Amino acid sequence: MASGKIYDEEKIVEQLHHQETVRSAFSQVIEHYSQPLYWHVRRMVFDHDDANDILQNTFIKAWSNIDNFRGDAKLSTWLYKIAINESITFINKKKQQQNLSLDDDATFMASSLEADPWFDGDAAQVKLQRAIASLPDKQRLVFNMRYYEEMKYEQMSEILGTSVGALKASYHHALKKIEAFFDEHD
Amino acid sequence: MKSKRQMKTEKSEILDKLGKEPGFKVPDGYFEQFAHQLEDKLPEITITDVDEKPSAWIKWRPFVYMAAMFAGVWCMMSIFDRSNGSNDIDRRQAELQQEVTVEENADEAIMSGVISDIDYLIYDDSVAME
Repeated sequence: MASGKIYDEEKIVEQLHHQETVRSAFSQVIEHYSQPLYWHVRRMVFDHDDANDILQNTFIKAWSNIDNFRGDAKLSTWLYKIAINESITFINKKKQQQNLSLDDDATFMASSLEADPWFDGDAAQVKLQRAIASLPDKQRLVFNMRYYEEMKYEQMSEILGTSVGALKASYHHALKKIEAFFDEHD
Repeated sequence: MKSKRQMKTEKSEILDKLGKEPGFKVPDGYFEQFAHQLEDKLPEITITDVDEKPSAWIKWRPFVYMAAMFAGVWCMMSIFDRSNGSNDIDRRQAELQQEVTVEENADEAIMSGVISDIDYLIYDDSVAME
């Protein structure tokens, strides 16, 4: 943690419910969750500036609705849900701007990766990102959360509102599609 | 611990070769700056304090509910009693009717006795006349 404070989520959630402590508590939430949420969003939208905007919107939405957060769900689950909604909304808007169907994949977003100053991956990594971008949005989410974030299926289930069995199947299909993409583009 | 089946379905040779570093990077000090810049952008909000004193209604609500419950019970008891009371009246009316009938019978019996007495007197009179 940048501030060196010990992050105690239970205490912070309690502080979020009081006018005099809400701002300082939310600052700790930003410090704690900005990195994992940023990487989560970045893997979805690829571009740093887009990820930055979406992350800001995510925290501003969370802040505006903090009075509605009563601690029934985990704070992380709530924040991930907002971030995912913001990401999907952004991707759909971008697809509309590019005159693409909402069912089209996001490969157009990954196509400019090599020119991105905030991407220093090699050709194989570009190829992998394109393969991931070719997945349907929800499958892409599942793949990123499981493969890169190593999130437990149970937590993914809470965030995405999908059964653990369906998530496992979705991840398995995503792996097969990525392998097939590599076979096709050899 | 992962099951063999899960290990099998989550295994990919391609991914094993590539590793988990996607190649994305951020400007130096990005996350520190992000936190500071965002905190400045957050508007003022009003939190409904969970420890706020409850309203008079919330405070008195259990007592009102309890009073309503007792009133309900009292009303039911009252209706039940009234219903029993009307049964008593019916029963009393039936008893009175029965008493009237008995009295009528008694009158009849007395009247028959009177007649007998008259008959007796008539008889006596006839005897006397003889």
